[in-house]
Amino acid sequence: MRIVAPVSRVAEIEPLAQAGANEFYCGLVPPDWLGRFHAINANRRPSGNLTRYEDLASAIDIAHAHEATVSLVLNAQHYSAAQIGAAEEIAGRFAALGGDALIISDLGLLHALSTRFPALRMHVSSVATCRNAGAARLCRELGAQRLILPRDVTLAEAASIAAEVPDIEIEAFVLNDGCIFEEGACHTIHLPGQLGGPICLDRFEYRYRRRDGSDVSPRLAARLQENDAEYERWLWYRFSCGFSTTPEGLPYGPCGLCAVPALRRGRVAAIKIAGREAPTARKLASVRMVRSVLDRVRCGEDDADVREFAMKLRPSEAHCATGYMCYYPEVLRAEAR
Amino acid sequence: MNAPELAVAACHALDLTWIAAAPAERARHWQRIHGDAELAAWLAPLQPTHLYFGSEFCEHLLPSTRALREALRQAESAGLRLVLLSPVASPEVLARLDALLTMLPAGSEVVVNDWGVAHELASRFPDLRPVAGRVLCRMTKDPRLDAGWAGRCGHGLAAPTMRGLFARLGIRSLEIDVPLFADDAAFADLPLPTAVHLPYVYVAKGRMCRAGSLAVKGPERFAVGRRCQKECLRFSALASRPGRADAGASVQLGNTLFSRHSAAMAHSLRQAVDGKRVARLVVPGAPL
Repeated sequence: MRIVAPVSRVAEIEPLAQAGANEFYCGLVPPDWLGRFHAINANRRPSGNLTRYEDLASAIDIAHAHEATVSLVLNAQHYSAAQIGAAEEIAGRFAALGGDALIISDLGLLHALSTRFPALRMHVSSVATCRNAGAARLCRELGAQRLILPRDVTLAEAASIAAEVPDIEIEAFVLNDGCIFEEGACHTIHLPGQLGGPICLDRFEYRYRRRDGSDVSPRLAARLQENDAEYERWLWYRFSCGFSTTPEGLPYGPCGLCAVPALRRGRVAAIKIAGREAPTARKLASVRMVRSVLDRVRCGEDDADVREFAMKLRPSEAHCATGYMCYYPEVLRAEAR
Repeated sequence: MNAPELAVAACHALDLTWIAAAPAERARHWQRIHGDAELAAWLAPLQPTHLYFGSEFCEHLLPSTRALREALRQAESAGLRLVLLSPVASPEVLARLDALLTMLPAGSEVVVNDWGVAHELASRFPDLRPVAGRVLCRMTKDPRLDAGWAGRCGHGLAAPTMRGLFARLGIRSLEIDVPLFADDAAFADLPLPTAVHLPYVYVAKGRMCRAGSLAVKGPERFAVGRRCQKECLRFSALASRPGRADAGASVQLGNTLFSRHSAAMAHSLRQAVDGKRVARLVVPGAPL
């Protein structure tokens, strides 16, 4: 099982590799992209990207020196016909630099690039929202070697897809940065904070109404109020506990560390740490956390011991007990049994 | 292309007796459902042709075989062609869909919002006609944007790579929302006959459902895969941003955020219909 880590600066590669990351993913937005397309969506991130091919070349060289790989992210929600050509150009230069894999969300683009650059591996982005065996088969037919599952899957679903389509690798999220809506089904823009930010964090006020036109009863209104308060609490966890860390820099927030044994048994090939835009210290702490858990799993520690270790890492037992910080809260169900 | 077809969308049994009524009665019906006299008057001359049944957005609203059988019967007696709506699919949904797809008459359309469902249709149900739904036909539809963002609100449906994918999967028609900043050319470059939904655009959908978690307690509240009690059939929420001047009102219905068409969007849709660039209109058969 490989650990996949985000990078946004060349200098991050070496320490993250030494901490135990096996694969790196990064974005590249060439300087002319914004001018050509008046869009920042070469890969859905306005920041946290490399901007020079020279840096991409250095990233590849350093990663390879540590026997790690580099994947380049081309996962905009959609590309216009003109942008497709530009994306193909980026992919070609990445291939020429000796890059290892592309992460692609547009399945049409996937087929074009897998045909044109057969030496590159093709990984389907979580933004493609492929989360069943039929979708995995299609990705395989289009030339993908790996499917990155969206965040909102269960352990059983991940394992069933891996079992049904064994000729495609499965990657699953393990740490950091939750989404509220499904990434590939969210047709919005992460606006600057002063304009509202991500739509799921914007300050919408809800006014409930019954669809048949009748009044919302006081009892239902009270239940909805309680649900909204609990949702706000869940939202705080989902957004990395207010983007907080321990004094040592270990990140709180969406986490699947306790699920690593189940993911491994389910033949998940790689586990992904999210957060390209995060500070280097957060990325480093994240890789160390995941590596320490995975090493225990590899040594044959049983699930309960791994879970106890994972919860004490930060420590985060109280947060963990809520389930709201979990990518795979069903692990807690198993524990309760 | 002449007048567009008109589809009525539902995820449960609806009273369809009004569709055979005179236009004035149909106008009253649409006014009652969507509260917009101008919209009602515009839709009233169009006789419904299709019943869209199921859900584009929620796996819990996938109909049972019994519900689909009843909907097929109801559609036939009302002279409508049934189109099955299908959502983004978990492995369980993919398995349940299998039984539903075998019930559909040859030539039936299935709106697919999942590439895996499209692949299953192409490989195992060649007699059915897949239609790429709104989840697959991506375009930026953030209702908070003003015209300054118009350049970032296009779609990639006309790209040759997408055309190739549609052809590979046997997809010969599309479903979209009205673009946020539609001009006269907005519907001109679509590569396939296209149905347009109104009077709301779908903005974002989650797998987690806030309303659907109402009856859930404990660590798996707001988690995926829980059995909801279909709260979305009973209530929705008007979602507003105090102090902001969004062009269209937003509605959260179950796991999906919708935004009502602005006056400009409604106008551009009518122009596109007048210009015969819209193959079909799709209207919710119940209030959001």
